Amino acid sequence: MEVSPSPLLTVDSLTIDIAGAHVVDDVSFTVAPGRVMALVGESGCGKSLTSYAMLGLLPPAAKRTVGRIMLENTDLARLTERQFRKARGKDISIIFQEPSASLDPLSTVGTQIAEAFRAHHGASKAEAFEKARQMLVDVGIPDPDRRLHQYPFELSGGMCQRIMISIALICGPRVLVADEPTTALDVTIQAQILDLMKKLVAERGTAIVLITHDMGVVADIADDVAVMYAGRMAEIAPVHTLFREPKHPYTALLLASVPKLDHAPKADLATIEGMVPTPSEFGVGCRFHDRCPLSTDKCRSQAPPLFDCGDGHRSACWHIDRMAEIREVGA
Amino acid sequence: MSEQKHVLEIRDVAVHFGGNGGLFGKTGAVVKAVNGVTLDIVRGETVALVGESGCGKSTLSNTIVGLQQPVAGSVKIGGEEVVGADRKKLNDIRRKVQMIFQDPALSLDPRSTIGATIGEPLIVRGVAKGKALKERVGALLQQVGLRPEHADRYPHQFSGGQRQRVVIARALALEPDLVICDEPVSALDVSVRAQILNLLVALQKRTGVSYLFVSHDLGVVRHICDRVVVMYLGRFVEIADRDTFFANPKHPYTKALMSAVPEADPEVQRSKERLILGGELPSPAMIPSGCAFHTRCPLATEICGRERPELTVRDDGARVACHHA
Repeated sequence: MEVSPSPLLTVDSLTIDIAGAHVVDDVSFTVAPGRVMALVGESGCGKSLTSYAMLGLLPPAAKRTVGRIMLENTDLARLTERQFRKARGKDISIIFQEPSASLDPLSTVGTQIAEAFRAHHGASKAEAFEKARQMLVDVGIPDPDRRLHQYPFELSGGMCQRIMISIALICGPRVLVADEPTTALDVTIQAQILDLMKKLVAERGTAIVLITHDMGVVADIADDVAVMYAGRMAEIAPVHTLFREPKHPYTALLLASVPKLDHAPKADLATIEGMVPTPSEFGVGCRFHDRCPLSTDKCRSQAPPLFDCGDGHRSACWHIDRMAEIREVGA
Repeated sequence: MSEQKHVLEIRDVAVHFGGNGGLFGKTGAVVKAVNGVTLDIVRGETVALVGESGCGKSTLSNTIVGLQQPVAGSVKIGGEEVVGADRKKLNDIRRKVQMIFQDPALSLDPRSTIGATIGEPLIVRGVAKGKALKERVGALLQQVGLRPEHADRYPHQFSGGQRQRVVIARALALEPDLVICDEPVSALDVSVRAQILNLLVALQKRTGVSYLFVSHDLGVVRHICDRVVVMYLGRFVEIADRDTFFANPKHPYTKALMSAVPEADPEVQRSKERLILGGELPSPAMIPSGCAFHTRCPLATEICGRERPELTVRDDGARVACHHA
């Protein structure tokens, strides 16, 4: 086992409430410098809220009630909006799914990148532009001098996402939150952006929190994976371990529902019956119990803690010892 | 008659946009969205149409259902010509072909109950009304895994996967021969995708319907399709049976696509051969000369910029348009 460096970002017992329901419930994980942590889950699992909390971008209806988000020695969860404005971009940044919607259509991309730099450094416009130009080179945009003076509509989706990455990284943040960064892009462009992110992680030692629902993207780029279900952490593990030996029924079924190379064409895929519960339906037990083939009375009445399975692998399931039954269902 | 088995016959279809006049009277560039494609689909067959944004796959889908007029070529559904058909004829043809779109939330009327939505084509066509209509709608709901009493509910009362089931029920209401599925599972959560794919397969086994399955997800394509067509900038570059296609892809663009789609297995994904394309998809308004792919192709030579390769049949039956593959 390789030894992970000490964590840069520690999310500890994070709980977020909306209208009295714990939509994010006791979520904990750590990310080390130069590592990619994938937060995986289906819509409504709380992965985006968790990431927004890291940047102080929670919607007004959502309240963090418990927990810390430590970026080294700073608790991001306790920053005021004023303090957050200083931290965002400089210490922690975010890129979103739809790059063209995140850019200002009325200013050139050079201005937007330079602006991000000047917000945190007392540089002249010319210096900031030079920085921006260098950044475009780093993210692999050909002909940067021309591109700096173009508007977002003149650029393709993949190019716009490179611009977003430039803006997010120009102040050298130590953590980058990437919220479905390639979902809106074509596959050949997605491959380019994923490669770029891998390169940046390697060169700059940036820690990435990657929000995605695409198991292929996870398999490509993640070092560690945290699987969330209905606001709780279901399972967390190094990427190879998670795919080879999932220890939560939800993860195992999720993986089995993706068509594989060796799967007979048109043969039934494994499915997860039922639906994700809405926050008003969260019971006291395991939130997956009514869809889980291993479910027992205990699952209904008691929420399982995250059990430590060794080597960084943890799973919140009462029946880890019965996982072989699921693998039969999936196969 | 062998002719009858073809539910869809497309011959040399071309669809171009713009070029004359334009909004402010200036002559714009002609966008050659679809540029001479030929394809047959037989009964019970699923053909995948694979390609990236701007390759013309949506334009082609729209042309098949008669929403878009081609500048050249012929589209026959069940042997009947769509191109140039008058309104009445088109109406008759259209009941044989239906569409399912990516986002079920956008394809359902939020103010109609799903019973009304599914029943509408039956009323419009005069197939059923009153009690018979209700029964028919109930049966359709059951076919797609919902319950007859769901008919009184509105789309917002359903999850994304259930809404896509409603859309599928509506598409099947008139017992079409061909359903065009435009990225039908891309907007759905992973666990729900499998349910919908299983449903599409089961319905095909039961009814013999054919699918034209537009998708960029090669894992899904490999699972559900019998034949695969790869489209790049308005033309088909490779057509092959599923097994041949995945065992032995030939066109460099096909190989690049396969390399780009991440496999949901870290060991496979991290050890596979990488072929990452440089550059962007050129605009369909400025299609490169010769082989349209030559600007991004790792195999390109001088001839590729000069002469456009035709689709030629290879030993294993695959048809490929490439000078070097």
